[in-house]
Amino acid sequence: MTQPVPSLADLQVTSEPPESRRGSGAVARAAATVVVALAASLFLLFMLAPVIGLVSAGGARGMGALTRDAELRAALTLTAATATIATLLGVVGGTPVAYLLARRAFRGRALVATLLDLPLVIPHPVAGIALLLVLGRASPLGGALYAAGLRVAGSPTGIVCAMLFVSAPLYVSAAREAFVRVDARYEFVARTLGDSSWRAFRRITLPLSARGLTAAAVVMWARAVSEFGAIVVLTYNPKVASVLSYDRFTSVGLSDALPVAAVLVVFALVPLLALRGLRAAREERESV
Amino acid sequence: MTRFLRRGVPRLSALSFGVVVLATACRGDASRSRATAADTLVVYVAASLARPLQPVLDSFAARTGAVVQRESGASLEHARKITELGRVPDVLLLADHEVFPRLLMPQHATWYAQFARNRMVVAYTPRSTHAGEITAANWTDILQRGDVEVGRTDPNLAPAGYRTLLMLQLAERHAHRPGLAAALLANAPARNMRANAADLAALLAAGELDYIYEYQSVAEANGFPFVPLPADVDLGDPAHAADYGAARVEVRASPERSVEYVGEPILYGLSIPSNAPHPATARRFLAMMFSTDALRALRSAHVDMLGTPVVVGTGAPPEVNDAARSVPR
Repeated sequence: MTQPVPSLADLQVTSEPPESRRGSGAVARAAATVVVALAASLFLLFMLAPVIGLVSAGGARGMGALTRDAELRAALTLTAATATIATLLGVVGGTPVAYLLARRAFRGRALVATLLDLPLVIPHPVAGIALLLVLGRASPLGGALYAAGLRVAGSPTGIVCAMLFVSAPLYVSAAREAFVRVDARYEFVARTLGDSSWRAFRRITLPLSARGLTAAAVVMWARAVSEFGAIVVLTYNPKVASVLSYDRFTSVGLSDALPVAAVLVVFALVPLLALRGLRAAREERESV
Repeated sequence: MTRFLRRGVPRLSALSFGVVVLATACRGDASRSRATAADTLVVYVAASLARPLQPVLDSFAARTGAVVQRESGASLEHARKITELGRVPDVLLLADHEVFPRLLMPQHATWYAQFARNRMVVAYTPRSTHAGEITAANWTDILQRGDVEVGRTDPNLAPAGYRTLLMLQLAERHAHRPGLAAALLANAPARNMRANAADLAALLAAGELDYIYEYQSVAEANGFPFVPLPADVDLGDPAHAADYGAARVEVRASPERSVEYVGEPILYGLSIPSNAPHPATARRFLAMMFSTDALRALRSAHVDMLGTPVVVGTGAPPEVNDAARSVPR
């Protein structure tokens, strides 16, 4: 017995609700659309209004101050450099960890993944103190580094450590998701065709997860740029932009703190836009 | 931000509810929100006074049932929260009474009471390098050595910071050794600087620093051993006010402008700001703070309380004026 093939007309009829329910259904759908749209609008407003407010209040003055305020320029340069180094370290060290967590089933995998999330729940000044306990002069490791002339607290090294600690968990968890989304069978196929596991990773998994890894690194970099609490404990001087903004607020007032924060937002926008733009362009190319 | 809300929001008129939510959030005025409208006491306290004051706050909460919200930080930061953010506490206790006339009067306060003294010391820990040999006679030499890490507070942010600079000048004068202050300062570099007295103390406790220029009350509260300084150096003795006046430092008030601080005896000041959300609770707290019991508790916590607070300005409540008169010197 073959099923009767429904005609187009039949389909149209069945897809329509019965006459009696059509009115209330449309009202419910319209209501749902309004609620969702309203929630999304409120969310966007909530997220964007403070940023736009900050930039409109301090952006022009901040950009103007760039030419004559050497301290601001130094803070921005230091922030960009330390956040970039922290992100690179996070990518180099975090990518293999994320890959292992995504691909290998080993005892304690859930525990490792959870432990790697822990830095996210530690209040940041406490994270700074925790880092000081491990890397400070009084600790065995910090003492050895200090003896070798490498100072962690009160140096850019301390800033990188603080940024890495608080923002790398974001990279690892997002990179892990990026690897999970790549079908493991592609790697198996490559392996059966004679590729080594490293070559399979480099030629198959890495290109397929590149977009996700880039996004993960962007989020990590952005989070590192914004860090204040752990940095101010570890390295108050030299000042990154967030510490400088706090310093200006306390010593001078809001009028001088807002431009610093606004300039930071504007400057952070450049690499963020560039990377997102890169991804968008690549997506377009791939979809063609 | 308010400019954005005024301009941008009418275009999003359907989102009026969101504007209300945002406007509330943007004002950031936790002290006035409805959730704290009951019997609440919002206290901003200088970091150097936070620990000794805590038992007094606890006892006030226990006796009156009031909810005490305490914020500890650098004195100038507290002042900025009031002047710049409109976040006003009920009671404001600052490490330098000068902050009131300089930043807060007459707009945010019409009076303040000087209520405690303090003195600068050199604090350390038993494991600090050369801890075994430091004395009142040789501290200037030990703190110049290359193998010790010396910390201080940022003079732009906290009274303890500029008082350290003043104290070092006075030490140079006392020792008749030109260049001593600059040499000691050079050995307490910017990387060993922190934002307030409490952060600095935490770094000493963690072993990151060997010596810090600190208030005696903070050293005592943390159990740090300390080197006391001569009376004409430590900024703690009103009898030496004329000596202290010989020291002066420039502190940055903005990237382009600086203000001068002249040496004077360390005096803490307190007030109830004009726009305090719970002024009645604040008055009750000050009445208790100036009671004999609280004075004793604070003194035992190494706060050098004045026998009689000195009120400057007008409009101080009777609880403060009575204490200023009634407490025996």
